[in-house]
Amino acid sequence: MKGLRLVIPPFAPDQSGAAGVFCMLPGLIVILDAGGCAGNICGFDEPRWFGSRSAIFSAGLRDMDAILGRDDKLVEKIAKACEKIRASFVAVIGTPVPAVIATDYRAVGRMIRKKTGLPVMMVNTDGTAGYDEGEKKAWKELVRLAVEETGEPAESGRNAVGILGLTPLSFHRAFSGEELESIKAGVQQREGCDSVYIYTAIDEMETAALVRKNLVVSPSAIPAAEYLKERYGTPYEIWCDPEWILPLEEKLQAAAEHPPKRVLVVHQQVLACGIRNILRDRTGAAVDVASWFGMEPSLQEPGDRVLREEEEWMSLVREGGYDLIVADQLLARAVPEYAGAWWDLPHFALSGRLQP
Amino acid sequence: MMREEFTESRAGDAYSISAAALAEAGFAGMPEQLISNRHLIYSSPATLAFNSPGAQGFGVKRAGLSIPGSVMLLVAPACCGRNTTILTELGGYGERFFYLMMDDTDIVTGRHMNRIPQAVKEVYDHLSGAPSVIMICITCVDALLGTDMERICRKAEGLVGIPVLPCYMYALTREGRKPPMVHVRQTLYSLLQPLPKKSTSVNLLGHFAPLIDDCELYEILRNMGVRKIREISRCGSYEEYLQMAEANFNLVLDPEARFAAEDLRKRLEIPSIELRRLYQIDKIQHQYRLFGAALGETIQDETWYEETKKAVESFRNTWGPLRFAVGEGCNANAFELSAALLSYGFAVTEIFADPSEEDFIYIRRIAAVSPDTRIYSNLEPTMLYYDIGNEAADIVIGKDAGYYHPDSVRVEWSDDTAPFGYAGVRLFFRTCEQALRESGWHREEVKE
Repeated sequence: MKGLRLVIPPFAPDQSGAAGVFCMLPGLIVILDAGGCAGNICGFDEPRWFGSRSAIFSAGLRDMDAILGRDDKLVEKIAKACEKIRASFVAVIGTPVPAVIATDYRAVGRMIRKKTGLPVMMVNTDGTAGYDEGEKKAWKELVRLAVEETGEPAESGRNAVGILGLTPLSFHRAFSGEELESIKAGVQQREGCDSVYIYTAIDEMETAALVRKNLVVSPSAIPAAEYLKERYGTPYEIWCDPEWILPLEEKLQAAAEHPPKRVLVVHQQVLACGIRNILRDRTGAAVDVASWFGMEPSLQEPGDRVLREEEEWMSLVREGGYDLIVADQLLARAVPEYAGAWWDLPHFALSGRLQP
Repeated sequence: MMREEFTESRAGDAYSISAAALAEAGFAGMPEQLISNRHLIYSSPATLAFNSPGAQGFGVKRAGLSIPGSVMLLVAPACCGRNTTILTELGGYGERFFYLMMDDTDIVTGRHMNRIPQAVKEVYDHLSGAPSVIMICITCVDALLGTDMERICRKAEGLVGIPVLPCYMYALTREGRKPPMVHVRQTLYSLLQPLPKKSTSVNLLGHFAPLIDDCELYEILRNMGVRKIREISRCGSYEEYLQMAEANFNLVLDPEARFAAEDLRKRLEIPSIELRRLYQIDKIQHQYRLFGAALGETIQDETWYEETKKAVESFRNTWGPLRFAVGEGCNANAFELSAALLSYGFAVTEIFADPSEEDFIYIRRIAAVSPDTRIYSNLEPTMLYYDIGNEAADIVIGKDAGYYHPDSVRVEWSDDTAPFGYAGVRLFFRTCEQALRESGWHREEVKE
């Protein structure tokens, strides 16, 4: 049955994706919910939240707020918080409640801006889509706000490269500071640039249109990169190094005697395609890519699949004839009959578990 | 501007109020910073249990599975089931949760309602053994759509031939007349059907895990001639759970079980008596006196009283006048526990909790002996600026207080097993003692 999950629990929703994009930025982030969604986002889908003091709030909606559509009360609460909290923007993230009562996001956004004087981003997520949809909307809003609010970008002449889409939900967990430095160093070497931005600060974000190039490391950041290209001519490349989260070289050496012949890689598409390219080059195996989230058509090859239902996953494994699956271990519980090799490729948006 | 710079460039301090000022203001004059529906709710690790009750402890989902042999179908957008992944990792829950995920059309049109009975059937068929009950957990979306889940459950029952019950996880109604945790308690006992009464049977209602094994309440009841003391968490089978209907009376140990008790009184004619979890031993004694009087019995609790009094004194003599900070994320009412600690000669520097009207009895008591105790709301936006790591306390109680004082000796005091009565007080101080010893606090701060 469509939507029925008997084995695999639900994955990170769109609202978590949106919150993850804003999480480390100096804004007032308001989850438009009754409380449970904010708790789910912070307590489960945003690993960086435990170690930081992000300004994430729940609107604390109650039944009568929803039934009577008390938008003015919400705006009042946000304005009061802005008097006490120093924030450079307000981001309001939707949940199922505003979706059911058809909240007018544009109008509420205008009201908040008028009342607080701050730039406002309204993200109309509804809790039913995947995290990537929320990230997509949030990246685009953020790029628009950061670049447009600061005026048309001038020629910078900077030899910098930006990395768009590097969120915990698109990878295995939050990267440590040391790992981020290592990622930057790798990109710097690859691109021969002076500096690398990962867009976790507003002033970095403002330069998104000025960099020599943006590297897009997950499909959810493609629309934002596309926007920058169309509007400001900033080029982008879709690329990600699998070694950031998977010791692929090590694995390949261990499997050298019995190289796989038919492989299935399941993750966000950019990372999965990076793994495919290496596996194919090194082993000559036929490699399919599948993802539970949106896939960019230009990266898709015949045999690649977008998964929606548990049953689709089971039949793909049953009928695919794979001798190696590279995917989050959580998915294994739905295919106990699979007898081939399995390389664990954690995806925080799936299992949410913290990796060592 | 990086996040670190943001948190350091403080716009102000975390809001707090002294116990004296709060007692003087009274409930009617309580500042709006302590009234959660007047401001945005700050989401910090300290408030996780509040913001996402399903993620920690017993939220609606885990509580809803208290009936032995039951399974749950969560009918909701994916976002509502997300934290259940944590529960599936906990022992025994992996095979008990199933999901029917709504899409964006469902949440507007309610068309998912037609699929629920068939989904229940598929869950039933998927299981290797028949469950005792299938709970259907629904969330804010169905609250707003006005879904008649009782009717859907009846239809599903027709397909599977076992009870199917609605379980309402309506976060929107959290501060209403019947919040989700009240509702779920009523649901849990709704399957009980009239049985001949047994004067020697009693139910303990309110907790989803059993009382601590050495709780004197068991012996008090046995001394009264009670032979069967039933708690839902100790029922080994569905049949044993159904036997709860034979009880002569119910003991309500958590106010959130009042509705359930009232429902059982109306349907099964089982009366109830309410007892509170307290940490002030003189109040525990008084409560047992009243309880005995209500039943026409005399409760001999002097031994436990003296034993507990000695345990408290011994702790006080060993560790001296410790400074406590008390949060609401623990197995206690933060204000009652604070009043108790003050009465035993300790200091309470901070309390992290939103007061209810009933709490003002304790707040006035606190104000009388410790007017400068600061009271914070975990949920107020300026808690973003709380000076984490300040040394306002030697030992902190509760997950929330522990978050604010990572360098103090921390006692979460939030195990599933429920502390109660004199035994609860003794266990509390034993746990504090253990934490102090393990942290080495004794050596560094007291001996020297």
